[in-house]
Amino acid sequence: MKVLVSVKRVVDYNVRIQIKPDGSGVVTDGVKHSMNPFDEIAMEEAVRLKEKGKVTEIIAVTLGGAKGEETLRTALAFGADRAIHVKEEGEIQPLTAARALAAIFKKEGAQILFTGKQAIDDDANQTAQMTAALLDLPQATFASKVELDGTKAQVTREIDAGLETLEVDLPAVISADLRLNEPRYLKLPDIMKAKKKTIEAVSFADLGVEAAASLKTIKTTPPPTRSKGVMVKTVDELVSALKAKGLV
Amino acid sequence: MNLGRDVMGFGLRLLNRFAGAPVVDKLGLRKSSEKAIYQASKLGFRTATAAARSFSAAQKLVRPARLAKNTSSGLFDLTPSEEQLMLRDAAQSFALERLRPAAAAADTACAAPADLLKESADLGIALIGISEELGGAGSERSAMTNVLVAEAMAQGDMGLAVACLAPAAVSTALSLWGNEQQQAAYLPAFTGDNSPVAALAIQEARPLFDPFLLQTQAKRVGDSFVLQGVKSLVPRAAEAELFIIAAQLEGSGPALFIVESSTPGISIEAEPAMGLRAASTARVVLKDVKIPATALMGEGSAEVYAECIQLSRIAWCALATGTAQAVLDYVIPYVNERVAFGEPISHRQSVAFSIANIGIELDGMRLLTWQAASRAERGEAFDVPAALARRLCADKGVVIGSDGVQLLGGHGFIKEHPVERWYRDLRAAGMMEGVVLV
Repeated sequence: MKVLVSVKRVVDYNVRIQIKPDGSGVVTDGVKHSMNPFDEIAMEEAVRLKEKGKVTEIIAVTLGGAKGEETLRTALAFGADRAIHVKEEGEIQPLTAARALAAIFKKEGAQILFTGKQAIDDDANQTAQMTAALLDLPQATFASKVELDGTKAQVTREIDAGLETLEVDLPAVISADLRLNEPRYLKLPDIMKAKKKTIEAVSFADLGVEAAASLKTIKTTPPPTRSKGVMVKTVDELVSALKAKGLV
Repeated sequence: MNLGRDVMGFGLRLLNRFAGAPVVDKLGLRKSSEKAIYQASKLGFRTATAAARSFSAAQKLVRPARLAKNTSSGLFDLTPSEEQLMLRDAAQSFALERLRPAAAAADTACAAPADLLKESADLGIALIGISEELGGAGSERSAMTNVLVAEAMAQGDMGLAVACLAPAAVSTALSLWGNEQQQAAYLPAFTGDNSPVAALAIQEARPLFDPFLLQTQAKRVGDSFVLQGVKSLVPRAAEAELFIIAAQLEGSGPALFIVESSTPGISIEAEPAMGLRAASTARVVLKDVKIPATALMGEGSAEVYAECIQLSRIAWCALATGTAQAVLDYVIPYVNERVAFGEPISHRQSVAFSIANIGIELDGMRLLTWQAASRAERGEAFDVPAALARRLCADKGVVIGSDGVQLLGGHGFIKEHPVERWYRDLRAAGMMEGVVLV
């Protein structure tokens, strides 16, 4: 069984995000980037399934600029067999990404598309769902457990009310939530061997994908700074303070 | 004659005389007159310059002339490659997420947890220095990569880093200087699933220890060597299966010998130290230890031995740099959050300057270490850069450890914070020989 894992290069989760002075976006120059943590979880799940013998080939895909190759190298060090780099220096909207992933999914004849539930840069949480819709395939998002059984997958999802278990027919799209697994530490020799695996570069034109332009970023601003809290000494004081604010 | 300067000099003389006059203080005019002097001298300078020079466009420019960016020739460029950064990041996340939380307990117990050591062996650090032919992952000399990995590991904790890296020193030594029989006999074990515990023992416990003049002796007896002596501060010696031991070869100089720990005559005595406690340091006592002639590495060559000492010193520099980085990363948030006298203590200059000095010295340590390592891996002479790095890292490592403790105030002294441990570990970096290699 062939699986496709989409990985995105994002600003590292440890970096304190800074907004560009003109409000056109966040500062990315000279900032540490890494693989989107949810995509790492998706990657880890694919590798575990391969180790269990349920998956035969893992193909990692990324969309974006030249630096995206680093992210693909990480995916290859994780255990992907080969990688596809959809090169595009400009902005890529979720719908565009979904179109490209759908095209590659079809071309490769994959059985599962694994993605992170969202990327931590724009937090759109749309690509997996849109890709499933474009391919007209079942989707199981926010997976916290995945079990493959021949032509079906049992996916446990984390929802507000607790856990929900879905059975989906394959091929399908599965997006990984935080508790699906804990990604392994990369072995140093695997990182060195990753450079021998192939990365195929393609363009939107090669895939016959048209870039969507349905979203326009108007302005990026930092979140408002939290104002200082008030300390109360007694419960009565708390209650009267809440009353004064008209909250109780 | 420079008219401008004369005018200025006259003006300043006048102003100085006025400023020095006691009458200014008496009349309470000091503040306002100082301002007037400042203004007057500022204007004076402006007038003097204006009088001395006139500007005119000597040439018409279509666009501003700028110097082009220097193209990299490889010289002076110590930027690690993308792959090296990936390797460093991988080691660093292991160090910060796995080594750091286990470090305090390992320090107290004078031992690293077995499962952690296994996990670290699985990372395959030892494989970087072994050629692909023998099942390793290396395709070229990798002193720089090893430096980055050692630095990253020490950022978690130096004691545990030494425990994790000790076996890799032996595999690196075998891969650098072992002959075909030695490599074939020992290296495959390092590339297998259950890689052996091993240690490189050079240190001896005596005043003014000089690694080039050893007390441990190796005598030729017939077809074999007999080793006598005591090696000090050997990490994980009690569980080691293989040693590389430095001894003074009779009629020659210091040399390296491969010694299996099961050889009769070897005994181990625990030797807990001030720092590096997680590495379970011990003495290796060698009494009439008979080893085959094939155990001698590099045919006893003086160059091989000197290279080993220098590479080991670079590795200690890398460990010191990593630990110093850990200190810096720990104290910065501390001084920004710790409030005394109504404000964070980082608002005090004595604190802020101290932090700045750590940052400057740390970068100096790192650059000298990288310089030495990059020369080493290119096969160029690196004795001078290695010596400079050793000196700076020994001196500044200790200072940074001590400053870290000082910046935490009373908190620096207690074991709740890791900085006291790093202070103890950093003392080792300037003194240790052997144990780690890059």
